[in-house]
Amino acid sequence: MGDTLASQSIIEVDKLSKRFGDKAAVDEVSFEMRRGEVFGFLGPNGAGKTTTIKMLTTLLPPTSGSARVVGRDLRTEGKKIRERIGVVQQQDSFDQGLNVETSMDIYGLIWDVPKRDRRRRIDEVVKRFGMKDFLKMPTIDLSSGQRRRLQVAREFLHDMDLLFLDEPTVGLDPLVRRGILDYFKEKVKEGLSIFFTTHILEEAEYLCDRIAVINQGKIVQVDTPENLKRRFGRAKAVEFKLLEGTSRELFERLSSSDEVSKLIQDEVGGTYRVTTSRPEIVIPEIYKLAEKYGLSVSSIYIAETTLEDAFINLVTVDDVRRPDSS
Amino acid sequence: MNVYVRLVYRNLRANLDKLSLFFELFFPLFFVFVQGSGLGGIIPPLDIGNGRVVPYQLFLAAGAVTLTVINAGTNAGTQLWFDRKNGMFEQILMGPFTRAQYILSIILATLIIGIGGSLLVFLLAFPVLGTGLLITFQGQLLIALALFLGTLFFGGLAIALSVALKSSETFQVVSTFVFFVFLFTSTVFYPAGNAPPVLQAVSYLNPLTYATDIFRAGIFDAFTSLIPLEVGILALEGAAVFTTAVVAFRRIRV
Ligand SMILES: Nc1ncnc2c1ncn2[C@@H]1O[C@H](COP(=O)(O)OP(=O)(O)O)[C@@H](O)[C@H]1O
Ligand SMILES: [Mg+2]
Repeated sequence: MGDTLASQSIIEVDKLSKRFGDKAAVDEVSFEMRRGEVFGFLGPNGAGKTTTIKMLTTLLPPTSGSARVVGRDLRTEGKKIRERIGVVQQQDSFDQGLNVETSMDIYGLIWDVPKRDRRRRIDEVVKRFGMKDFLKMPTIDLSSGQRRRLQVAREFLHDMDLLFLDEPTVGLDPLVRRGILDYFKEKVKEGLSIFFTTHILEEAEYLCDRIAVINQGKIVQVDTPENLKRRFGRAKAVEFKLLEGTSRELFERLSSSDEVSKLIQDEVGGTYRVTTSRPEIVIPEIYKLAEKYGLSVSSIYIAETTLEDAFINLVTVDDVRRPDSS
Repeated sequence: MNVYVRLVYRNLRANLDKLSLFFELFFPLFFVFVQGSGLGGIIPPLDIGNGRVVPYQLFLAAGAVTLTVINAGTNAGTQLWFDRKNGMFEQILMGPFTRAQYILSIILATLIIGIGGSLLVFLLAFPVLGTGLLITFQGQLLIALALFLGTLFFGGLAIALSVALKSSETFQVVSTFVFFVFLFTSTVFYPAGNAPPVLQAVSYLNPLTYATDIFRAGIFDAFTSLIPLEVGILALEGAAVFTTAVVAFRRIRV
């Protein structure tokens, strides 16, 4: 039983910690990632995402805890692990003094990829990542977005079972970003497993099978994007419009309602947006108030919960809890 | 393909700054052809031991070959510098390599630049040097030792410096300064025996002095009883610096 489980999981982490001085960047984190899965680490800046990746890729020794990556022990089989993983670091990384094409080719070469395969794979990523325009440009002269594309693209020159991506889409425009995410998805269909960090929620939602929300070095929750939304996205948004446009009295009365946590009015369209966990109480109240002030509601609906709502709930609830527990 | 071949090839392609490489070849040739012939007219031929007396231009030309090892060493440090600055250091360490393989590949690339560069300068300076060469089998051994140990010393030194010095500006300034101190207190330009005592003492602490003396002894067949001692000291200094470099390298934080 244990054996089957082990072979199905590509990462197993047990109470992994990293301390810098007396500060825990990663604090007894445990989780398990399955083979073929896209596993997301979602959290604000400084949450410990990069530190986790650095440990799992053998760059940084853990302070305590243990992990197995691609079935190998993190502490004793580092090189075996590195042979089967790819890493796109959060920081820039490029070979200076070479043009884009040559630098990709040499990157493939140090991974011992045969010339013919390098050629074929370079052609593929150039097409998929839209790199034709700057293929002959020296890496030094690239914009940060172009450099990012090169950094992600070259990782697909070599074989791997598991790819670590540390905020890979930072600085990319939406179209390129979508193209790259779709390429990741394709590779996952072909059998690649991806460990992905981001602080962008839509990205995590779009790409990940499961998401671990991490905050201040601790995993707050691990679940599918859908479940996270269902369980933690309690806050709903009720949006409505008045035929009359704006009503100060209604705004003030509604704001002071117990069930309303936030009320804003869109300045352009005049749409009111109510944040609440009890839409079934708030909606009748809106109609009651409208009647009272002689207004008419022209449209009203409940907006879908975004993962962003779920995320903010998780992270802020955790922050609020802290002082209480001490 | 062998892992070292791959990494060394990459180091040479990715990390060599072509402009500074050009300067490294041009700089010694300037001494051989300009400085040497200019000063040759006012400096009498020098006795370099074993009864060998050579014109100043030849004396300097031999020194010009060994000073390429300093340049090559600086280049080694720069390779590591570039990799750390450009995030390739971490990237390679997360690839299918060990730290030891990576640092060894830097050192091998350095030896190639150092020894290759010296031999190239040697060839280009041949019109001058060719007039006084006397290379025995023992001489070839000395030439090889001088270039190998010299490159090892200065390569190790530059790697250690590049680990210790955080900013790339500091590294550039310090390595240029160190370069000049080593160059002008060595026997590249003048024989130590004729210099004031203080300079003589400094000169005999300087590994470039040994590399140069050993190299001269090699190409002009000027072997003296001092040479084995000089080889020994240079080997010790090279080993010490190399060890320091490896220890410093292992401590690099990521
Ligand atoms: N080398 C280091 N020395 C000291 N503190 C560090 C170091 N690296 C990261 N940290 C700290 O650890 C915490 C987590 O950082 P990081 O893993 O980079 O977060 P994230 O990638 O989620 O933004 C931060 O508070 C950061 O300041
Ligand atoms: Mg990070």
